[in-house]
Amino acid sequence: MLEFHLSTIVFTVLNLLVLYFILRKLLFGRVNAVLEQRAALVQNQLSSAEADRRQAGELKARYEDKLTDARQEAAKLVADAQTRAQRVYESKLAQAEADAKRLRSEAEAQIASERENMLQGARNEVASLALLAAAKVAQQAMDGESDKALVDSFLAEVGEQA
Amino acid sequence: MDAFKEALVEELGTHTAFTIPLFGGIPVAESVVVTWIVMAVLLTAALLLTRNLSVDAPGKVQVTLESAVQFLNGFVRTNIGSHWRPFAPWLGTVALYIGFANIIGIFGLTPPTKDISVTAALALMSMLLIYGAQFRYNGLLGGLKKFAEPMPLLLPINLMEVAVRPLALCMRLFGNVLGAFIIMEMLKFVAPVVLPAVFSLYFDLFDGLIQTVVFVFLTTLFTGEGIKEEEA
Repeated sequence: MLEFHLSTIVFTVLNLLVLYFILRKLLFGRVNAVLEQRAALVQNQLSSAEADRRQAGELKARYEDKLTDARQEAAKLVADAQTRAQRVYESKLAQAEADAKRLRSEAEAQIASERENMLQGARNEVASLALLAAAKVAQQAMDGESDKALVDSFLAEVGEQA
Repeated sequence: MDAFKEALVEELGTHTAFTIPLFGGIPVAESVVVTWIVMAVLLTAALLLTRNLSVDAPGKVQVTLESAVQFLNGFVRTNIGSHWRPFAPWLGTVALYIGFANIIGIFGLTPPTKDISVTAALALMSMLLIYGAQFRYNGLLGGLKKFAEPMPLLLPINLMEVAVRPLALCMRLFGNVLGAFIIMEMLKFVAPVVLPAVFSLYFDLFDGLIQTVVFVFLTTLFTGEGIKEEEA
């Protein structure tokens, strides 16, 4: 029973080698290829996820920068508008004040000149009346230049006292 | 009793299935034919199981298959080290072959591993693997130096191991399968109905798988021993 058959040994070695090549190609090769592909896939996904995360972080920082810029811009615009409005308001106010002052001084000047005219008129009237009265009293005409000057100085005197 | 003895002796021998009429007749043993059947089964199974492998959506069968291959890879890597890659498919093949050959008795066929020529061939391949790897990864001089490790005093023992290791592998597998076979035959002779089924669970299934593991484990261990320390 303990007999070695060379033919069986050779056949078995050949069988084993054939089985080895078949299984290496069809079973272990395929399964290991799948395992390696999966490992590569996982590695890829991990690294791409990491890249995505970094990119998202960069985008976020950029957007935050932009947002800060926009806020500053808006604040500047508001401040500008406020100063401009203030300036316009002040210039308008100054103009209005100047206008009012000018109108007032014009009115005052007009009133003063009218008053002056009126006084001049009244004075002339009084002078002619006085000359008329004096002529009636003196029974002679008092219309010479010297007479008129006399009355005027008199009236001026009176006016100063009044 | 004499008839039983005769039947038993008859069972112990190897049967020649047929003879190739070449070079004065090449006998093809029964074990070789059964090996072809095992090969056909394994080839069919490999083709069926690896038909629709998917990288991102593996099915249940694929997950099981991948776990098995990963287990084999991890086992070989643990025992052999960084050069594990070329050894895993061979050791897996041997494991599948011996495993199927040992338990094929359940299906009524004679286990090929009951033929000492088959186990001798297996042990021969293991020897070639062990010492081939030792010289392949250490060089001629380094491979020779390995025989003087861990100390030169052990040189004769290490040289004896070249013959002893395959002999032990061969005889262990053959003896276990043969012993189980003889016991099963005797049981069938004594109580042909229920008893053999129960004992078959142990002798055919459990012992068959244990011997598979032992054979592959020892081969892996010896191979690792021959090449591992070189990178430690």
